[in-house]
Amino acid sequence: MTGRKPFLDALVGLLTPADVLVSCLGANARWLPHMAVAAPVFALCDSMSAAIPLALGIALTRPDRHVVALEGDGSLLMSPNVLATAAAAGPPNFTMVLWVNGHYESSGGQALPTAHVDWPALARAAGLHHTETVTEPEGLAAALVAARRAPGPALLVLPIAFDPAERIPPYSERPGEIRARFHL
Amino acid sequence: MTGADRIVAGLEGAGVTLAASVPDTWIGRLMAAVRGSGTIRAVDVGREEEAVAVVCGANLAGGRGAVLIQNAGLLNCGGILAGLVELYALPCFFIVSLRGDYRDPVYYHAPKGRVTEATLRAWRLPFAIADRTGDLGAQVRRGVEFAAESRGPFVLLISGEDLA
Repeated sequence: MTGRKPFLDALVGLLTPADVLVSCLGANARWLPHMAVAAPVFALCDSMSAAIPLALGIALTRPDRHVVALEGDGSLLMSPNVLATAAAAGPPNFTMVLWVNGHYESSGGQALPTAHVDWPALARAAGLHHTETVTEPEGLAAALVAARRAPGPALLVLPIAFDPAERIPPYSERPGEIRARFHL
Repeated sequence: MTGADRIVAGLEGAGVTLAASVPDTWIGRLMAAVRGSGTIRAVDVGREEEAVAVVCGANLAGGRGAVLIQNAGLLNCGGILAGLVELYALPCFFIVSLRGDYRDPVYYHAPKGRVTEATLRAWRLPFAIADRTGDLGAQVRRGVEFAAESRGPFVLLISGEDLA
């Protein structure tokens, strides 16, 4: 199983200035300021579960932009209802990317409840018709192309290795800086 | 024109483009009027925190949003108000049904009615109680503008009577 960073590198490399990237709190939000991202980025440092509905509001307001939301399995477990909300609203310019490592990584690596959650099945049951599990970073390009072409919101599920030794940089941007730089 | 129609006209006049909601019986009546608007998109969500995030996203993207929920739902929103709305200084206008005050005949709402205004003050949320004898549309417009100008929250509390 591949770790987070190769997936994040691959995904960021696929984004264009016409896209919008919204990140959940945690490792992805902490890595992004250290990466060259072509798309505008809005990264959260708090508010678990907010990334998908925040990105949904952007997607509904700007149908000319493709909005990509990064969310963790811990956050989505807290409020899986966001999947049904996205499905009901139905914007085709919206891709959710779920990072599944079974741990609350940003709070010390505690394990999630150990029940196996079948995320693609849950998403389909919530009304999302386009879901795909991507197991290697090399598969992201084709998966994102298919997600962009989907007639409704799409969910990409990325099973990633949990690496407690990963040297995740600290938060290096403050919310005011992130907000000030975010323009569409 | 009903009170609900006047509130929707106020939202339209303030440039609101999206209304995200979890209904109760009162907010459901208001959302029925919202769905008749030609300029406001109604977004039905599963939890009130979602509505806050959706509206913040709409505002970030250049639109204007409004959260329409019951006071029980507002009480659910402490975390996201602190961690998103306040932390990132985002406008967020709320219309909240004030269940459980003296105008509400349903007994089981009373505990919420007792704590709503005290909680708003404790959370330092600017708010007003709608006055249906005045210009409801103007009260809505002022609230939306306050949220936009202050880059923060504003809560307009309504009663079922206000929708008649």
